[in-house]
Amino acid sequence: MSGMDRRSFFKVVATTGAAAAAGGCGPSAGQLLPYVVPPDNIVPGIPAYFSTVCRECPSGCGLIAKNRDGRVIKLEGNPDNPINTGALCIRGHAGLQGLYHPDRFRGALAGGKPIAWEEAEKQLADRVGALAKAKQAGRIAIVSGLETGSLGRLMDEWVRVVGARPRLSYEPLAYEGLRAANRVAFGRDSIPDYAIGDASYLVSFGADFLETWLSPVAYTSDFSRMHAFYQGRTGTFVHVEPRLSLTGANADEWVRNAPGTEGQLALAMLKVILDDGLQAGGGELATLRAAARSADVEAAASASGVPAETIRRVARDLARSRAGLVIAGGMAGSGSSSTDMLVAVNLLNTAIGAVGSRIRFGSGSAFGKASPYSDMVALTQAMAGGQIDALILVDVNPVYSMPAKSGFVDALGKVPLMVAMAGRSSETTVRAGLVLPTLHPLESWGDYSPQDGVIGLMQPTMGPVQIEGKPVQAKNPGDTLLSVGRQALGFEEGKGPLRWPTFRDFLTEEWQKIARDHGSTEPFTDFWEGALRRGGVWRAPQSAAVALRPEAGRISGAAPKLEGEGSHVLLVYPSSRFYDGRGADRAWLQEAPDPMTQVTWDSWVEIPSETATRMGVSRGDLVTVKSPHGSIELPAYPTDLIHPGAVAVAMGQGHKLPGAYASGQPAPAASNPQPSTFLNVGANPVDLLGAAPDPASGGLPHLAVKVSLTPTGRRRALAIPQATFDQDERELAQYVALGSARELELRGRPPADASKPSMYPSVKYAEYKWGMTVDVDRCTGCSACVVACQSENNVPVVGREQAAYGRIQHWLRLERWQEGPAAQPLNMFMPMFCQHCEVAPCEPVCPVYAAYHTREGLNGQVYNRCVGTRYCGNACPYHVRRFNWFNYTWAAPLDQQLNPDVTVREAGVMEKCTMCLQRIIAAKTQAREDRRAVKDGDMQTACQQTCPTRAITFGNLKDAGGETSKLSLSPRGYHALAEIGTQSSVTYLKKVVRAEPGGSGHPAGGGHRG
Amino acid sequence: MSAPPVGSGQATWADVNRDVDRTLLNAGNTYFAWMTVIALILACGVAAWGWQIATGLGVAGIRTPQMWALYITNFVFWIGIGHAGTLISAILYLFRAKWRTSIYRGAEAMTVFAVMTAGLFPLIHVGRMWFAYWLLPYPNQRYLWPNFKSPLIWDVFAISTYLTISVVFFIVGLVPDIAAIRDRSTGLKRKIYAVCALGWEGSDWQWRHYRRAYGLLAALATPLVLSVHSVVSFDFAMALVPGWHSSLFAPFFVDGAIFSGFAMVLILIIPMRAVFGWHAYITDRHLDAMAKLTLVTSLVLTYFYLCEAGTAWYSGEHYERASLFARAFKSYKYTFWLQYICNSLIPLVLFWRKARTNLVILYVVSIFVLIGMWLERFNIIVPGLGYDFYPYTWGVYLPRVVDSTITVASFAWFFLLFLGFIRVMPSLSIVEVKEVLPHPLKHSAHGGHH
Amino acid sequence: MEVTTEMATVSVLGVFAHVDTTLQAIRDLRAKGFGDLTVYTPVPVEEIEEEVESVRPVSTVRLFTLVGGLTGTATGFFITIWSSLKWELLTGGKAVVSIPPFVIIAFELTILFGGLASALAILVLGRLPRFRPSATYDPRFTLDRFGVAVSCPPDHADSASSLLSGAGAEEVRR
Repeated sequence: MSGMDRRSFFKVVATTGAAAAAGGCGPSAGQLLPYVVPPDNIVPGIPAYFSTVCRECPSGCGLIAKNRDGRVIKLEGNPDNPINTGALCIRGHAGLQGLYHPDRFRGALAGGKPIAWEEAEKQLADRVGALAKAKQAGRIAIVSGLETGSLGRLMDEWVRVVGARPRLSYEPLAYEGLRAANRVAFGRDSIPDYAIGDASYLVSFGADFLETWLSPVAYTSDFSRMHAFYQGRTGTFVHVEPRLSLTGANADEWVRNAPGTEGQLALAMLKVILDDGLQAGGGELATLRAAARSADVEAAASASGVPAETIRRVARDLARSRAGLVIAGGMAGSGSSSTDMLVAVNLLNTAIGAVGSRIRFGSGSAFGKASPYSDMVALTQAMAGGQIDALILVDVNPVYSMPAKSGFVDALGKVPLMVAMAGRSSETTVRAGLVLPTLHPLESWGDYSPQDGVIGLMQPTMGPVQIEGKPVQAKNPGDTLLSVGRQALGFEEGKGPLRWPTFRDFLTEEWQKIARDHGSTEPFTDFWEGALRRGGVWRAPQSAAVALRPEAGRISGAAPKLEGEGSHVLLVYPSSRFYDGRGADRAWLQEAPDPMTQVTWDSWVEIPSETATRMGVSRGDLVTVKSPHGSIELPAYPTDLIHPGAVAVAMGQGHKLPGAYASGQPAPAASNPQPSTFLNVGANPVDLLGAAPDPASGGLPHLAVKVSLTPTGRRRALAIPQATFDQDERELAQYVALGSARELELRGRPPADASKPSMYPSVKYAEYKWGMTVDVDRCTGCSACVVACQSENNVPVVGREQAAYGRIQHWLRLERWQEGPAAQPLNMFMPMFCQHCEVAPCEPVCPVYAAYHTREGLNGQVYNRCVGTRYCGNACPYHVRRFNWFNYTWAAPLDQQLNPDVTVREAGVMEKCTMCLQRIIAAKTQAREDRRAVKDGDMQTACQQTCPTRAITFGNLKDAGGETSKLSLSPRGYHALAEIGTQSSVTYLKKVVRAEPGGSGHPAGGGHRG
Repeated sequence: MSAPPVGSGQATWADVNRDVDRTLLNAGNTYFAWMTVIALILACGVAAWGWQIATGLGVAGIRTPQMWALYITNFVFWIGIGHAGTLISAILYLFRAKWRTSIYRGAEAMTVFAVMTAGLFPLIHVGRMWFAYWLLPYPNQRYLWPNFKSPLIWDVFAISTYLTISVVFFIVGLVPDIAAIRDRSTGLKRKIYAVCALGWEGSDWQWRHYRRAYGLLAALATPLVLSVHSVVSFDFAMALVPGWHSSLFAPFFVDGAIFSGFAMVLILIIPMRAVFGWHAYITDRHLDAMAKLTLVTSLVLTYFYLCEAGTAWYSGEHYERASLFARAFKSYKYTFWLQYICNSLIPLVLFWRKARTNLVILYVVSIFVLIGMWLERFNIIVPGLGYDFYPYTWGVYLPRVVDSTITVASFAWFFLLFLGFIRVMPSLSIVEVKEVLPHPLKHSAHGGHH
Repeated sequence: MEVTTEMATVSVLGVFAHVDTTLQAIRDLRAKGFGDLTVYTPVPVEEIEEEVESVRPVSTVRLFTLVGGLTGTATGFFITIWSSLKWELLTGGKAVVSIPPFVIIAFELTILFGGLASALAILVLGRLPRFRPSATYDPRFTLDRFGVAVSCPPDHADSASSLLSGAGAEEVRR
């Protein structure tokens, strides 16, 4: 099975059950051993596992939180959850740094000053009560994030009872366009489930589904199911986007189109399909014809810069594949004409018969329930018009994410009382009259439904975090609203319309309904505990029949209207690390290099190389990007991987936030270069956009402006750990053409790779020889492993200057290598970490045996024996050894996340990947207790466990039946730098390419290399 | 070469004692002014080291991939300097090259102090210097012994042996001279030198063992000096790094070491001769001889440079070639080419007889040679590591204040020791200089060769 | 020089300015059967050395050196092999006991011990350090004078001094 193996998962189930029975919540994080009376669900030193839901983005993946002695120290994906099936993304892991964030509110604030909680609640209650009595409750507005569970329903109930304005669920990225297109095409105001895994030919118009689009973890693993080379079979993926995103880099063919021509291209493809009569059967032919009538392949080709031949080929292959799927989103999905474009895509999907099979309206995405941006605009106008007296913002940060032009900030000034319920300080909370802190999702009860038929149940995985010895004073917003509501309307607890004493009672009541819906016959407590163990309840995805509406025929492939006279079209895209910006205050995410550019600690503007040379700017030169609505200043990143007519800036950076951590209180020790002011680095591209919503969809058009670039003459060198993307013929990441891969599959491993001659005696391993395999064909470069490793192994964050100067501490780095022509490269993503070489160059050079070879084939590193000669660091040809240049520290309370099973290394010692030795030891202990040897899958390394594509395996190479041993003998297998004879224990599997890089898109035989 | 009668103005034995005697314990203000300046520079270095220990090695410019940089460069440089001293005092002694007598004491002092300087750098370099003693094989109840397969442990043994033997050899040579000083001095001075002289009297009984032991020590020091820099070169040759992994390194390093050592000897004795007015003992013939040796070692080194480049090129191995190319044409191209100019081109001027005896030229050449040899080590270590197997981590090392200060201070430390020495101990060997002077004879007709 | 302690004998010292006269004195004394001579020279002089050594066995310093050196070699190999076997740690796939690197350690220790033993020999055999100068010693012997000290029974003292002055001693004293 995928993810965590069954047996250790039952352990999870057991402990979570106990946890649930005991109220789910361990002792608060500050209490340290020894306990006088240990809580019965906490065995000192033995971790307890709690299942809950990740709330870092609306995808709502299932989580397993590892609670060790009262503190959550690690997050893993919940293997049973249908959304992420055990995997977790980079942002999910960083959720821990949100939980232990130094900027968390210690208690309630009024006008920025601490205030007693009751007092704060009372102030709000009085205001609400007064308005309610005066029949002015309509002047109360509440805005929350996308809350599709009980909390959302409670807030709506509260709104109903108080009589406030309907609640807004504000998501900066709400995909209004998709919903609008589905309204037009199918009459359904929802976002379906795209079964990418079932497709054999996938065309994406700018949908960055491997990064942020809808549900990235789910789609990434689906993608590997559809695309990764397996037993000679593989799917094809064509990505259409003006800029090479991480998603595009994983495509078999990147079609670089002029920004905004996606609609034309889609219609042109539709036309080709219809003309060739390749469409799937169905009654909608007339509508399709009507839509395609206006289309013209040649015109589309000339407009988009995509060869007509390519359009025809892709269209035909798509239709012929019989299991095709077209998705669209990203920038293309939010422009003034995006609705038409997305309708066109719907038509295309209809034409190839994907609707109803690979597009399932039965299980709609949570995004279907988000309020469109236009509602926020309406609210802003109401505020500006003085119609709002009390504004309650629950875990949202519109001050940052609304465009500057929207005037939201000024409108706030017109609101007498703005109440922020949030966990940490943000641009919004600093403007709030009242701050009522919320518990972190990992500390609270709740539930969340990421898609129809899937309800994730959240339980407190630990008590409220303690800062300076005191637990943070915070409540679940549900609890706050209940007590505020009661006080406002003057009801006793347990009486009146808001009768539930606590939010948990409301939750239980809701779940009794859910139990009934799911037709559960067992007693509710069993159902409840089952749900707690499982992490929720879910049904198999359902597909609802939809019919194409004739209106869909009346669309045009017109390009979006672009404001401004600038030279380049601005592409604003969500960051794979910071999403819409909510992740930017996590040092882990800031230091994890962006997979495509490898930039850390900053944002940048991608400029076409030719433009850069023309302007005479090189990497790191500050450039002013000016649109009709504003201008920002960013370091230039010249690249060939973008349309010459466009520049691109990622969302998420450029905060303006006076947080303690964010604005860097002096580092605890002079020796510790902790990130100082990193949050406010970079710029927020949303400020360049206009505020007017797109009339058709109500969304904020991201593809809407043209910008002009002017060099400032100043520089801000970017911190980029990867020196070059060119392998210089060293074949670190290798590839093989599809034809040869199939051939190899039949022939087996070529004899060339037979055991290498060695002058050294061959080492005999008694029981175990640990090894790993990494499938370069599966790896999409999502970088989740980088942060997973960091959180498991207490890897410090070193800060911008150090990262720029080759001192990043990551044990596992995610490399991107480029082959072939600069404009149409083959991209290979390769996790690189200690290779645990058989003939390790680093071992014999150590004068004190700090580096040595264990009897289980591991390359050991004894920290407390290390003197720090750094000879091993020179000797290691992979440079995966990391030296502690300083005494790195963790700003409190981030230190509470440290894994007690892993040493925190002091200054002057060398460290590196241990293949999660602490987990190996745990597995061996368990096996010994069971009187058996460690079996394949007993344990996973942190990087392996989190990988959505299952690109990484770990196991005992002596166990011939094990997955890892099998894969390490794969004909695609190779060792990095094998020719220097290190005989590493990590086997990489070559990427399978459809065509030699530089060749045309056609699948070519291609000789296999490496 | 055959022994030239020392100096033209024939000195007598008594002159020798007098000329050496007057250099001791009578320093002028200029001397102390210089010593103060040097001490201040050294103090800065010590402060820098303290700061580095307190905060971690990050304050120096070291990084991935250059886990080694200035400190190891200096280490190799200073070890190299030492070699010329031992070569002059031991090897030339075995060859009975009599002209060595008037310079060997200075050269030997240089050796001892250079090795003492070099020995500091491994300490400065390691991440946890307070545990550096773990590199020594000392008994402990957990049987934690060093890894004798590690070139660094070979270093520990080679360097400590080298230091010990040099010091012993040095002291043994000093004893009869100290006795001579003792007998010419009075009061406290006499007492101190008396202790150092161990009661030497120059009786036949003492001489017979002394002479034999001295010869044996010379015989032991000779293979030692050749082995030491070979072992140092193994630090590099034993690692895989392109440009390091070469069997050429041992002779290459030894020759380079002697080359740089001769340059340092010239830099030291030319002013010494002027200040102490020892023209009678250190004559142009000596300088000429030194210059010739410098020239020879330079030519040999050039040959090794060609081999190095040639092997890299003809190996056809991608990494080796790329590394060579990177060193010659990427970030470090200036240091790379400057090295060849200093070590291979500039010394060629010594083919010209006049240059060999022209103090200015000789001095300038020597300085260039020192710069060149320092750069050679730098170019092996820093650019070598900067462009090795793995392109992801390629990077450029920039020295910071701390490592630069410590580098400069290491010279201060060396000169502090040396200048201190020449004012308290005979830096010209009284006995050996007398030995090569014509022995006093009553009847010159009577036998006894000169 | 037990001369001072033995009351039975007296010592006569002749101070010379030249190598040849010194040599002459030694030869004459030997000829007359004076065996117990001590010769002081500012520098080792080969002629005198030959004359003096001719009646003695070769110095045993080399034995010290040999023993020291061999001890070093043995220690080198022992400590390396024994300590590697203590934990049997694998490094870089090499054999736990791999002799080539150990040769280097053995070599260095050979030199070290050999050298120290030779230095020790000077002290032991040369009877150093000595804390009181011998009665016949004269500071000029480290400058430019040679000395020949004869220790003999009192009744032979006269002939000894006459021999010394005969050979050309600048000064003769008892």
